[in-house]
Formats: sequence, structure tokens, C-alpha cells
Amino acid sequence: MATLAPTVAPPQGGQVGKDEEPPGGTTRVLGVFKATPFTYATLIIVSAVLSVPLVFAVSIALSTDHTVTTNGFTIFPSEFEWRNFTRVFDGDLPMGRFLVNSLIISLGSVIGQMVSSGLVGYAFARLRAPGKNVMFLVVIATMMIPTQITMIPQFILFKDLGWVNTYLPLIVPNFFSNAFNVFLVRQFVSRMPSELDEAAMVDGLGFFGIYRRIMLPMLWPVLIAIGIFTLTYNWGDFMGPLIYLNDESKMPLALGVQYITTTAVAGQPPPWNLVMVGSILLTLPMIAVYYLGQRYLYEMDISGGSAGVK
Amino acid sequence: MAMSRLRRREALWFYVFVSPWVIGFLAFLLGPMISSIYFSMTDWDSFTPPKWVGLDNYTKLLTEDPVFWKALGNTLFYSAVSVPLGLLVGLWLANLLNKQVRARKLFRTLIYLPTLVPLVAASLAFRVVLAPSGPLNDVLGWVGIKGPQWLLDPSWVKYALILLSVWGAGSATVLLLAAMKGIPRELYEAAEIDGAGPVRQFWSITVPQLTPVIFFNLVMGLIAAFQVFSQVYILMPKASQPGTYNASQTMVPYLFDQAFSYYHMGYASAISWLLFAVILVFTLVAFRTTRRWVFYETEVK
Repeated sequence: MATLAPTVAPPQGGQVGKDEEPPGGTTRVLGVFKATPFTYATLIIVSAVLSVPLVFAVSIALSTDHTVTTNGFTIFPSEFEWRNFTRVFDGDLPMGRFLVNSLIISLGSVIGQMVSSGLVGYAFARLRAPGKNVMFLVVIATMMIPTQITMIPQFILFKDLGWVNTYLPLIVPNFFSNAFNVFLVRQFVSRMPSELDEAAMVDGLGFFGIYRRIMLPMLWPVLIAIGIFTLTYNWGDFMGPLIYLNDESKMPLALGVQYITTTAVAGQPPPWNLVMVGSILLTLPMIAVYYLGQRYLYEMDISGGSAGVK
Repeated sequence: MAMSRLRRREALWFYVFVSPWVIGFLAFLLGPMISSIYFSMTDWDSFTPPKWVGLDNYTKLLTEDPVFWKALGNTLFYSAVSVPLGLLVGLWLANLLNKQVRARKLFRTLIYLPTLVPLVAASLAFRVVLAPSGPLNDVLGWVGIKGPQWLLDPSWVKYALILLSVWGAGSATVLLLAAMKGIPRELYEAAEIDGAGPVRQFWSITVPQLTPVIFFNLVMGLIAAFQVFSQVYILMPKASQPGTYNASQTMVPYLFDQAFSYYHMGYASAISWLLFAVILVFTLVAFRTTRRWVFYETEVK
């Protein structure tokens, strides 16, 4: 593919372009950046099409049971059964329990990753020890290993420990950090001036003291980013709970809401209206977390790095 | 050479600080990997003692298991179509959003919103959207097309999964849009003076400048696509279509089924290593071909 780059000369000494800029800092819009009616038409159609599943899900969530059994859904809401949103908490559906389980698993995992990845990442960035570089190469290499390789032996391990059908297999591994998060913290700490810890050292603060008193308060942006990634992953994780949790009362929402679709009486459709209420309850916290946490993700300049990889 | 007391103390603290990672690495990664190699060479139901079978699981998978080949083929098809398609759509949308558009934030939000929906919720929504009389087939009906049985017809399930994947093209859009903002304006100014139109500028400036980002997302996307699981598991529940289930099988759900429905732990472990091999080969091929199409600024200067 031909590139224009080699033919583009660096700006000449006279800076002709700069002088011609109109006052007030507004620059002329280049041809490529001009929006045409076609641009708007495309954006409107694409946004509308992408919104259909969301609008339809809301429409189903607001449908009556009768509409569910007759499969009479409409794309836009035509009835407003708001009662569905309270029914999932006080009826036979353990949606409240699912939510609590999701919170326990997600927050446990978040705490685990924030505590462990901070320590490990700091050590790799600042402390000197024989074998450190080799160890860091191993950290990077482990990112290549797909989780499916360790899935079965881990299941056997947790089964032998008697942890099947508990939250432990989903939470405990997070207390041992993970390669991606360690890498993030290490990069973050490497960019910080080392005068601070050196000064603290002269003041007689030990290595743990430096971490806790000097480093930790400055690590918050990266730790919050890690927290958001961990929360998003564990809140939405389906396979982990599917492997380890059998009791309905222990399922997180991501598994529970799918589980409801499998328990419908033979010949009856699943209670799609309540399933969609569950899906909405599963989605809203993620939207909230994204909008509250955006700032930290952009600050990290890693916003898209893993957010899109599911 | 003896280390000073301070250096020794520093090293000691290093090992203390990284001990969570070391323990986790041994207990949850290296140990399981070694066991997995062993398991993959046994016949084992996880209740009775494993029976050594050597490479039998691998030969059986590669020579006598039609479902495995079907699953591999479906997974490769899904990955090879959904990932480049998602990036193309992302590139197209990012290019539109990079123009001087009114209400850009609103459009960006609407395009990005689907990627914030957890996969389980998205899959459940698509189960109703793609139902035989769901909204998609309704719309197709308006223009006179009789929509297929997306989730019941094995030749259409792949496309249902691809649709769900492309629905999330917003993540690529936002990433590529951020990268586009970083392209020096002078390049476009010079091209305009040279008389290049918007289309020419898109292909000759925007795309080459973005190739590093596209490449990174292509590799990460392929790795993730090979491991597709939840969507498959939720979009085609086994009970509803026993006949077509195997025909629309993919790698990880097949592995999951062998391990946790039939307790063929040895066989499933062998599948996991073959999956790893496929991922490794694709990653290496991608990196090998980078010089040919990925443009790095530093090469020119």
C-alpha cells in the first residue's frame, strides 16, 4: 500500500501554515474532516440499528406474563409492567440473592487484585534482586497461556480442597495477582520519580514503609483502573461460576439469569420479561462503573487495552 | 561478589513482595499446566484412578473425531470473519466520528453502549432478537426477505455469533478514533494541497498510520475469538436442539462439554493443548507478517 509519508517534508522554517491561522485559535476544517449529509445519515442508521437489541430488551422487560406466553413482543415498549422490576425481588426468583452473590464475588476479587498486584508490581519496578529480570519475563510469558489449559487441573485442585460449590475458587486466585495487572502497576511506578523513595530511604523508612506510606497513596489511579477491570470481568464472568457453583442460592447474577431460562416448565417459554429485568440489572452497574471510572481509565491511557477483549 | 547488607535486605523484601505472584504462578499456573500435560495422556473420569494411554487422546481427536474437526472449523470460520469484520466496521465508524460531526458524543455513546453490556445479557438479548419471529426477521420481512432460523439452523448459527460480535464493534471504534486523533494534521494538509480527495487520504494516510493499532487489536481479537464460549453456550442451549448441537459446535464449548458433562478429563485436556497450539500458530503467523503491512513511524524517519 502506498503511503504518502515519505513525500511529506517536515514543516519548513517559515511555518507558513501557522501564520495563516485565523485569530481566535480556530483552524479551517480540512476536506477529510467535513461532515456531509451522508455522514449523518450513516451515523443515525448505525446508532439506531445498534440500539435495537437494547430497546427490545427493555420492551420485553416491561411486558406482561400474558405477552410472554403468546410471544407478542414489540420492538418498542407497548405496555409498561413496572411491577416486573419489584417482582424479581419478592417472588420465587432469587434475583436479590443473585445480586448479593455477584457483589461478594466481584468485590472479593477486586480487593484481592488491588492488594496483590500493587505489591508485586511495585517490587518489579523498584526493588533490585538477583533473578528479577528472568522472573519478569516469566510474568509476561504467562499472558500467552489460555485459561482453558489450567481450567481442568484447577477444578481438580479446588475439588480436592472441598471448595466446589463455594465462592472460594472464584475469589481466592485473585489474591495472587495476575500478569496483566502486575505489568500495569510496574509501568505506572516506573514513570514516577525515584527521588521520593530515595528520600524516604534516607529518612530511615523501611521498604514496606516506603510502599505503604509513599507509594500506595500515589498508586490509586492504577489501582482503581485494576479494580474496574477486575470488577467488570468478575461481574460478567459466566464460565467460572458455571464450573464451580451448582446451588441456585450461590449463583451470581450472570449465571443466575441464564439459569432461569433453563428452568422453565416443559412446553412453556422461559419468563423472558423477568430474564430481561435480570439482564438490565446485570448491565446497569457496568454502565455506571464505566462512566464513574472513565477518568481513571483515560488517565492510565489503557482504556481500550482490555475493555473490549472479552 | 558479596552484596552489601542493604542490598541483601532489598532483595529479601523483593522476594517477600512478589511472593503472592510466585505462589499463584506455581499453584494456579505452572502446577496445573504440568498436570494438564499428564492428564491429556490419560483416560480419566476424575473419580477413578487415571489410566495412562500415551498419545491416544491426541490421535483420536485428530483422526477419528468428526465433532472436533467440525468445532475447529467453526471456530476458525467465526474468528476469521468476526474479528476482521469488527475492525472494518470499527474503522469505518471511527472515520465518520473523526469528522466535524454535531452531537458526536451522543453518537459515540450509542455506538459504544453495546460493549458495556455483559456478554451474558447481550447473548440473552440476542436470543430473543434472533428468534424466528424476532425483530431482526421482522425487519427482513418488511423488505421481502424470509429470515432464517438463526439459532436452530446449524448453517446459520455461525452468522448469529458473528452478528453478536459485530454488535460490539464500538470498542474497536473508540480505540481507533483515539488513534486517529493522534495522526498529525500536517499529513492531511499536505495531501489536500497535493489534490488528494477524502477517500484517497483515508487509504493513504489514515489506514497506514493506524496499522499498529489495527494489528494489536487483530491479534488480541483473534486470541479472544478462538476462546468463544458464553455466547455459544447461551445462544444454543443443548437441550433445545440435540440434533444440530454438534454441527454448530466450537472449541471451548466442546472442551467444556467433554470435561464437565461427560467427565472425559483426559480427552478435554488434550483439546485444551490443541487449542493452545492453534492460538500459538496464529499469533506467530500474525507477528511474522507484520513487517509486510504494519507501518511504524520510526522506519521512515
